[in-house]
Amino acid sequence: MGSASVIQTNPELDLVLERVVDVPRELVWAAWTKPEHIKKWFTPAPWTTVDCEIDLRPGGIFRTVMRSPEGQEISGAGCYLEIVPNEKLVWTSALSPGYRPAIKGTGTGSCEELYFTAIILIEAQGTRTKYSAIAIHGDRATSKRHEEMGFYQGWGTALDQLVTLAKTF
Amino acid sequence: MPNQQVTQLSHVFHGLADPTRRAVLERLSRGPTAVSVLAEPFSMSLPSFLQHLDVLESCGLVKSRKSGRVRTYQIRPQAFRTAEGWLEKQRTIWNRRLDQLDTYLADLKEQK
Repeated sequence: MGSASVIQTNPELDLVLERVVDVPRELVWAAWTKPEHIKKWFTPAPWTTVDCEIDLRPGGIFRTVMRSPEGQEISGAGCYLEIVPNEKLVWTSALSPGYRPAIKGTGTGSCEELYFTAIILIEAQGTRTKYSAIAIHGDRATSKRHEEMGFYQGWGTALDQLVTLAKTF
Repeated sequence: MPNQQVTQLSHVFHGLADPTRRAVLERLSRGPTAVSVLAEPFSMSLPSFLQHLDVLESCGLVKSRKSGRVRTYQIRPQAFRTAEGWLEKQRTIWNRRLDQLDTYLADLKEQK
């Protein structure tokens, strides 16, 4: 039988956010796993989620299309890695549906393509629900951006130099 | 993951994504510089070069001012600090996302 998956967070790369909400955990699970819910809250305003596709099984697609107030649309598709109803949801933007490794810098608006794996943990606390959202990232932010934005070699060095420079201003 | 800050961040990357623009930034790192001096090392036409300067300015990486007939460019250090605070930006996005979720969940509960 399966054992718990390995999650190792690094405070320099990763985010761990915890919330307690006064709703049953089934509702929290539904909000994370049904397109009609996702479209209502997933994208920080003033951007909106105009489309969402979910195939809730390991390797299944999680796709969202976000739209800016000016009408610019950014589509992102990842795949689910782990699904334990009402308890745990893991997906990543670094793999396309079916676990196929994503190709770097191919998306529209690929500047925004910062790969991450998200882990949502949900547990009941009496009548309330605690959930944790963990976002883990692949590398130090600068080198990560360099690799994943599809820019050519030398870009990372240039950025590092400029950032170093900016600190001296 | 877009919000205003990430949009700003991607502008910074867009600005940095071109070798001519990076060369300009490296030159500007030595201090404010007039357009004619900036253009000197490049063989491209002046209109093309000015387009690069426009991109850098619209990305917020540089600012310019005109004195008489001379336009001088200088670096905006804030833009580079934006790039540096990447993880903090991610934190902001996730916090805002979860704020919206919590509000939405409360609304759902009320409707029941």
